[in-house]
Amino acid sequence: MSLYDIIFYLFALLVLVSAFITVTSKNIVHSAFSLMFTLFGVAGIYVLLGADFLGVVQLLVYVGGILILMIFGVMMTNEITNVDIKTGTTQVVPAIIGVGLFAGALTSMMLRTGWNSQPSENMDTTTYAIGKLLLTEYVLIFELLGMLLLVALIGAASVARKEKE
Amino acid sequence: MNYENLYSSLSLIQPEITISVFLLLIVVADLIFDKNKALIPFLALAGLIIASVQVILQVTNTGYAFPFSDVYLSRKGMVTVDAFGAFFKLIIIISSFILVYFSYVSDEIKKSEKNLGEYYALIFGMILGMFFLSSASDLILIYVALELLSLSSYVLAGFSKLRTRNSEASLKYLIYGATSSGLMLFGISIFYGLSGTTNLYEINTFLASHQINHLTLSFASILIFAGIGYKISSVPFHFWTPDVYEGAPISITAYLSVASKAAGFALLVRFIKSAFVTSDDSLGYWEILSVFDWHSLLILVSILTMTLGNLTALWQNNIKRMLAYSSIAHAGYMLLGVAVLSNQGLVAVLIYFFFYLFMNLGAFFIVMLIANKTGSEEIDDYNGLGYTSPFLGVALTLFMVALIGLPPTAGFIGKLYLFIALVDAQMITVAIIALLNTVIALYYYIRVLKHMFLTKSTVETQTVSVIRPNIIFIIFMLAPVLIFGVYFGPVVDFAKRCVQILGL
Amino acid sequence: MEGFPIISLITFIPVIGMLVILFLPKEKVQNIKITALAATLIQLVLSVILMANYNYSAGGIFEESSFQFIDKFRWINIEGLSWIGTVKIDYFMGVDGISMPMVLLTSIISVIACISSWNISKSLKGYFALFLLLDTGMMGVFVSLDFFLFYVFWELMLLPMYFLIGIWGGPRKEYAAIKFFLYTLLGSIFILIVMLGLYFSAMEILPDGQRVFTFNILTMMDQSNYTQDGILSPFNPNNWRMLAYIALFIGFAIKIPMFPFHTWLPDAHVEAPTPISVILAGVLLKMGTYGILRISYPIFPDITRELAWYIALFGAVNIIYGAFVALAQKDFKKLIAYSSVSHMGYVLLGMASLTTAGINGAILQMFNHGTITAMLFLIVGVVYDRAHTRGLNDFGGLASQMPVYTGFVTVAFFAAIGLPSLSGFISEALVFIGAFHVESIRVITIISTLGILLGAGYMLWAMQRVFFGKLNEKWSGLQDLEMREYIMFIPLTIIIILLGVYPSLMLDVMNTSVNTLVDFVSTNFTNISLGGL
Repeated sequence: MSLYDIIFYLFALLVLVSAFITVTSKNIVHSAFSLMFTLFGVAGIYVLLGADFLGVVQLLVYVGGILILMIFGVMMTNEITNVDIKTGTTQVVPAIIGVGLFAGALTSMMLRTGWNSQPSENMDTTTYAIGKLLLTEYVLIFELLGMLLLVALIGAASVARKEKE
Repeated sequence: MNYENLYSSLSLIQPEITISVFLLLIVVADLIFDKNKALIPFLALAGLIIASVQVILQVTNTGYAFPFSDVYLSRKGMVTVDAFGAFFKLIIIISSFILVYFSYVSDEIKKSEKNLGEYYALIFGMILGMFFLSSASDLILIYVALELLSLSSYVLAGFSKLRTRNSEASLKYLIYGATSSGLMLFGISIFYGLSGTTNLYEINTFLASHQINHLTLSFASILIFAGIGYKISSVPFHFWTPDVYEGAPISITAYLSVASKAAGFALLVRFIKSAFVTSDDSLGYWEILSVFDWHSLLILVSILTMTLGNLTALWQNNIKRMLAYSSIAHAGYMLLGVAVLSNQGLVAVLIYFFFYLFMNLGAFFIVMLIANKTGSEEIDDYNGLGYTSPFLGVALTLFMVALIGLPPTAGFIGKLYLFIALVDAQMITVAIIALLNTVIALYYYIRVLKHMFLTKSTVETQTVSVIRPNIIFIIFMLAPVLIFGVYFGPVVDFAKRCVQILGL
Repeated sequence: MEGFPIISLITFIPVIGMLVILFLPKEKVQNIKITALAATLIQLVLSVILMANYNYSAGGIFEESSFQFIDKFRWINIEGLSWIGTVKIDYFMGVDGISMPMVLLTSIISVIACISSWNISKSLKGYFALFLLLDTGMMGVFVSLDFFLFYVFWELMLLPMYFLIGIWGGPRKEYAAIKFFLYTLLGSIFILIVMLGLYFSAMEILPDGQRVFTFNILTMMDQSNYTQDGILSPFNPNNWRMLAYIALFIGFAIKIPMFPFHTWLPDAHVEAPTPISVILAGVLLKMGTYGILRISYPIFPDITRELAWYIALFGAVNIIYGAFVALAQKDFKKLIAYSSVSHMGYVLLGMASLTTAGINGAILQMFNHGTITAMLFLIVGVVYDRAHTRGLNDFGGLASQMPVYTGFVTVAFFAAIGLPSLSGFISEALVFIGAFHVESIRVITIISTLGILLGAGYMLWAMQRVFFGKLNEKWSGLQDLEMREYIMFIPLTIIIILLGVYPSLMLDVMNTSVNTLVDFVSTNFTNISLGGL
């Protein structure tokens, strides 16, 4: 096991443990904070895989933006912090069977498949390539994502509005 | 990619551009005319008219848009514009026209009139997503388009905030939708991991020329099918359907049951055909790669879908819920057409969809008119309605008869072509199961008629008067159901023309 | 008659009447009734003209050239791509000796039922509109020579029938209506699937030499038109012809109704209003047996020969079972309903004999049963209208109270029993003569004759209970027949007596075709494998 592998597994462990806490914690502030570690761990894995741009964006947008916003939201709504959220578990046995089967299939799939992988020796920076692709070959998707964001904004406004009889 | 490519690509996606431009126009108009929203439906209509002309031109003007740079020779582009896609876009456009009228009449939408700008902007978002779904040949584009469609429809399902059921519908839709699109994304990532590409044609070439772990591929295919199955509400991804259909504003329910289903079917067929089929044989059957058994999966899912849909519909007392389950059953019939994996089957699906559009929307429209007046969607409240409002009663009867699939309505022709395809493919057992299903379906459709005509009207039964524009609109919906029932040649001809999928 | 679409006119004149009625205001009760009556009367006149111009020597059955009054044009024409071929559906109608009596029967019964509907008061407009639509559906079935067209008409009458029973019926009308609908729809999906199987097995040769799949019934009768590997092709060693025949037979048997598919009939009859019972017994039941003669027999002669014994057996079961159950009835209308089951058994038995006499008898029995049972249901209607009860034991001594009525009843009852010189006798006798000739079903035939005895039993017993004995004082106010009822009873009585003393009137019409059919069924599709089972 090389150093690379060890770092990878550390990050993976961080992601898994904090994600577990996020969904099980009864305190919403704890959940929000552990979500931050999850997102941070994912950013680490991105960097480890040579996706430097993605890693930085993950940090900036998710950890730096979205999460901070969420924590602000939680803290400013003073009634939320003290409320226990319902995190009870129902249907444990069927869930375990289902998830177990799914996990088994995934694992066996991962091990037996010859993935179409690229050699990782030359780790160039990806920012330039991504930028170029987004404005040439993937320009349609880039523009469409713009529309998606617009629709999301309108949708958010619509969800947030109150209506009187 | 050079500029020439870009220009030719842009000229191929004209309808999508029109829709996007009008989406923005609607947003702007909403801001400018803050007080008076009466203009917005007309703006939407104008956009739809322009887009419909452009879509009709696409039947003959076909090609690949947004091709990749020439590093990979076989790459054919991200968007495939062909007659097949145009057919489904036409279905979507027609139902959008109908939706505009629906919304104009609907009381639920009228109550939120000051938010009409949002409403139409979101609908155009849906249309944009569905248009791209009908012609996308790249997994990334498929995913983005699907998200665009889903996001808009989540919000629309909860658009009217006066009832709590609306918000419940919206939330349920969102949760199921997020799960299934997550599953689909996972499937896409596996496809990419296997083949190193997201382009469907590339995947096809790769699958044909490489040894692939079948388990992995099946797993990925099923995951992608989960995303599509959610859109067409096939078993076991149908759980959201009754709740959302019941809770959402009725105009949106009707739209979801036709347009969004159409987009799902277009996507399913194109995905299978582009990524897994190598060629058509002389009889129109698809030579499918043996990497994944689509035939068995689709037959299994379709039989489960139609049987479950029909059996559950039997117990419904709310007519919107009943129509929701009936739409699940209809999705099952149409999936059977896809399961034949032949051009005949595809023709049958196209014909079925075209007729389904009119009969289903027609039924929903009358249900909405009745709900506008009586405020009830319970079948028990329809007692004696056939006598107090004979025109609506007769019209609803005809739509129901078409949904059952009895001659001489168009519904029968749709079923007939489906069974022709099944019998030709020697799938007799499946055909018999599907036919037995239509007998079950008879029972719950006829129940509505029973309440309208056979049960005595109670004191509470109100007279639902219909104003003239609505009468004209209903006749406009009835005409295709009846005329194409006895003279269906043109539709079949058109469907045959539209079965050509580019890329083989 | 060249070029004049008389068959189409006969079929669609009720629809024209229906459209007129739909545009009449609801309040114009009299106009609506008269329009409906006019439509059915025109239909009857046209049928009589058709009969007058009918060429008795043309055989029909399998040859297009010997069908008469043909109306044919391309209805649906879809130019094929390479893979699905050209789809052509014909609008193809015509009559031969098998359909001619049925056309006449349908138009007579429609007029009678229309007159009988005169005192319907609830939603009159809807009633007559549906009634006329039903009329078109029935007539269309009897004249269609294209399977697709046949099927469309076959299904077309389901919905009107559902509403006619369901809205204007008796106390359990909803149950009866849905039961009728579900049963017949179940039957018709079997027909549909066989229709599609046949479509992919037989090909028609167009004038330009192109071979296309077809729904033409006549094309399906010619062995040389079948493809080598069609699923129902006799050339295919693994064909499904046997299964298809059984499926088709079940589809038709539900309509007859044949035991054990008969359970919808008593419910439907008891709940339906009198005119609809008349139509149901008079015409609708015949569609099942007609379908077998028109479609099953000539398209599957091989299987028909193979299974004739079973058809005879089911015929005998129908006769005996129907008669026994009729014996046990206390309800007048139910009694007649079960007697129908029994009498339709004769038709099956005659058909199964595959002899000229037997099939002649069967078709004549279809016609006679149509007229006799129509009259019987009208008789029940008359007494029910006046007394509002149908219990056989509630009456007694009506003969003295309503003498003219009792006279008509006697004619109808004796005709149903099969008394010589009344029409029922001739057809039953022919059936038994035909069936007795065939050695394999002789035993069945002998057992079936028991049905006559039982028939006499339940009919006479019913008559005795209702019309003779001491008059129940409750009914001393009952009036004898009125004008409208005379108009219904007299023509039917004339037909019954006329066909009793001079049956050739009808037999001559059908004889050539029946001979052709018998000849065709016994000589075609020989030496082919019976795969599938």
